[in-house]
Amino acid sequence: MEPPSGVAGQSQSGVESLAAVCDERELVASVLRKDRKAAARFVAAHIDAVYAYTRHRLTPRAELADDVVQDVFLAALNGLAAFQGQSSLRAWLIGITRHKIEDVYRQRLRVPEARDDAGADGEEPYSDDTPLDEQIDAGRARERARRALAQLPERYGLMLWWRYWEHRSTRDMAAAIGTTEKSVERTLARARARFKELWLREERDVR
Amino acid sequence: MSGDRWFEGLAQATGGVAPTRAPARLKSKVYSALIAQMGESGSLLDLTETKKAGGRLCVFENSLTILPVGTDIGAMNPCRICHARVLGERMEHAPIFWPGCPYSEFHKR
Repeated sequence: MEPPSGVAGQSQSGVESLAAVCDERELVASVLRKDRKAAARFVAAHIDAVYAYTRHRLTPRAELADDVVQDVFLAALNGLAAFQGQSSLRAWLIGITRHKIEDVYRQRLRVPEARDDAGADGEEPYSDDTPLDEQIDAGRARERARRALAQLPERYGLMLWWRYWEHRSTRDMAAAIGTTEKSVERTLARARARFKELWLREERDVR
Repeated sequence: MSGDRWFEGLAQATGGVAPTRAPARLKSKVYSALIAQMGESGSLLDLTETKKAGGRLCVFENSLTILPVGTDIGAMNPCRICHARVLGERMEHAPIFWPGCPYSEFHKR
């Protein structure tokens, strides 16, 4: 007699996840034995996820993604012997990626800021009270935001992305880059002003 | 609307990103870097062993396993001097079609 379908479904998924764990362990063991074909499988299986995550989190400076992804895999190879299998290999890799991206933010934002826009302190020229969801089509807005971020000085782009898209508090940011919260807020104000100028310019160009 | 609120709204409205696949040339570069790093700390798994473990060898790797030369040659990395690696690392959709070649696999779409 067949078990009820729900039970069958559960045991099927249990078997599948067990098989996946065994496959991962086997893959890890093969890479540690320096099996080059296993290394190719390792890259092929996980690089898309690592790349997508990296690209997203480094949107203002997407050109850095390739180097970060390579660093992630090299670091993973160095640490693979310590991989316990308590999480999936992909989750473990994403954990490494997260650390590498934090390093990028810290390194890039620790560089002293060049004051090439001294007049823009805290000025926010754009004021539009129309609800945002009525103003914009998400796809076009995303592209427009990406273009504006890409045109900003690196420091500003990363600051804005970290603060608003990644929801980091100014206190966290200040601690990570070794400065004061006040300094982060001042830089953010300048970054917002520059971003909005670019945003408006894009709007004018479209019209 | 305050600057913070405007940006929070913008981030919320534009937060989603389309899934992105890694470029094939990046896959190739990362693979080459991994193999180079593996080689720095000792020989790679011998090609005969690799084949026994189920790895599919390319035509050049296969030829190394049957050459009547020293035993160390099976641990060499022939990809270092292979045109497929060079193309794979530099081009997207590189015209490489060797069965068993990882670079060729990375460029299959």
